Amino acid sequence: RGGGPKRSGMKGGSKVVIEPHRHAGVFVARGKEDALCTRNMVPGESVYGEKRVSVEVENPNDPLVKEKIEYRVWNPFRSKLAAAILGGVDNIHIKPGCKVLYLGAASGTTVSHVSDIIGPDGIVYAVEFSQRSGRDLLNLAKRRTNIVPIIEDARYPARYRMLVGMVDVIFADVAQPDQARIVAINAHQFLKTGGHFVISIKANCVDSTVEPALVFAREVEKLKQENLRPIEQITLEPYERDHAVIVGVYRPTKKKSKTSHYEKEGST
Amino acid sequence: MPKSLFILYESAAGFSLFFVEGFESIASNTEEFQEALSEFVRFSKLVKLVAFSPFITAEAAFENLSKLSEYEITSNLSNFLNSHLPKVKEGKKPKYELGVFDHKLAAVIHEQLKLPATSSEKVTEIIRNIRLHFERFVDHLRTSDVIKAQLGLAHAYSRSKVKFNVNRADTMIV
Repeated sequence: RGGGPKRSGMKGGSKVVIEPHRHAGVFVARGKEDALCTRNMVPGESVYGEKRVSVEVENPNDPLVKEKIEYRVWNPFRSKLAAAILGGVDNIHIKPGCKVLYLGAASGTTVSHVSDIIGPDGIVYAVEFSQRSGRDLLNLAKRRTNIVPIIEDARYPARYRMLVGMVDVIFADVAQPDQARIVAINAHQFLKTGGHFVISIKANCVDSTVEPALVFAREVEKLKQENLRPIEQITLEPYERDHAVIVGVYRPTKKKSKTSHYEKEGST
Repeated sequence: MPKSLFILYESAAGFSLFFVEGFESIASNTEEFQEALSEFVRFSKLVKLVAFSPFITAEAAFENLSKLSEYEITSNLSNFLNSHLPKVKEGKKPKYELGVFDHKLAAVIHEQLKLPATSSEKVTEIIRNIRLHFERFVDHLRTSDVIKAQLGLAHAYSRSKVKFNVNRADTMIV
């Protein structure tokens, strides 16, 4: 991983313009090459050696004073959520002020960007079972107070029920054969009625003997049985092979639910 | 005659006990009813807070969480339940049930404290909605306080997990 670059900025400090992305809390840095980024909650620090970009903006109260805002570049090859955004997912449902339950947080690479997106008013409950990654996650959470680190097995929500409140979104990247069940048992306890889920599925981790498309279709069926209704599904090519991200709604209420896009488009 | 139902709810801030008044109506799980439960005004007519006992210190919170996650009853919990639940006379069948998070906890409470603990889908559903509205049941408790309690407790718990099992191999399957 190594130390971060000596100076912040992309490609030797060339002019960079930051534009908001369609998804609230996500930005695009337009320079020589475009890059996805999030606004750094802890300016001056990289989390995993990623590049930082800072721009000067005018203070809305005093036009003579310039403010510096720092962004962190978000690498789609290292984060499935970033890959899904670049893949054109319709809605990630993770936005400023949001409460998120993140299953399979690992060292916290993506969690740090989720923490940037939701900002100080949001909260992300980050669950990771591996102690090795858990240490990194704990250190990350020390610097960012909107991360609640939980080193525990996501299969047993009973063990961390005292630590988690109701959430708006569940994001899952657990890479386990029974991940649909894992998401479901957590949703039953912690996900608001009408809340959303975003699941990354690695076909090989579920069943390596059949075609990825079939694996995804089976997972969709399992989710439906648990009242987790898929709305859209995209593959993560070219960033990940045989991965899909499924986005959907839990216990859809009549008022909000239109006909699901999912049925119209079918699986890819 | 249907038995009345109490609910034990554990949060990072402390233990609380709820009494369910409209238990029969909660049993029906229609969509409109679910919507009604997510509104505090209507939910609070069905479910009442009986007692709330905050954890006095961070250490107490941590001890209760780590023991409960292994299904051990702490003295805090047994005192809390014994002092707020109606007494059960020996040899008589209790007139109420105590709904808890899962069947394992129900079994342990039943065995050690001799209280009529139970768990079911309905209980889970009620606990789910208590979680949604919890701060509004307890006076002077704000959402930010609960999140602070969760943060402090989660850090303590996770640190102990990382420290406690340094030599145990990771069981992550990739």
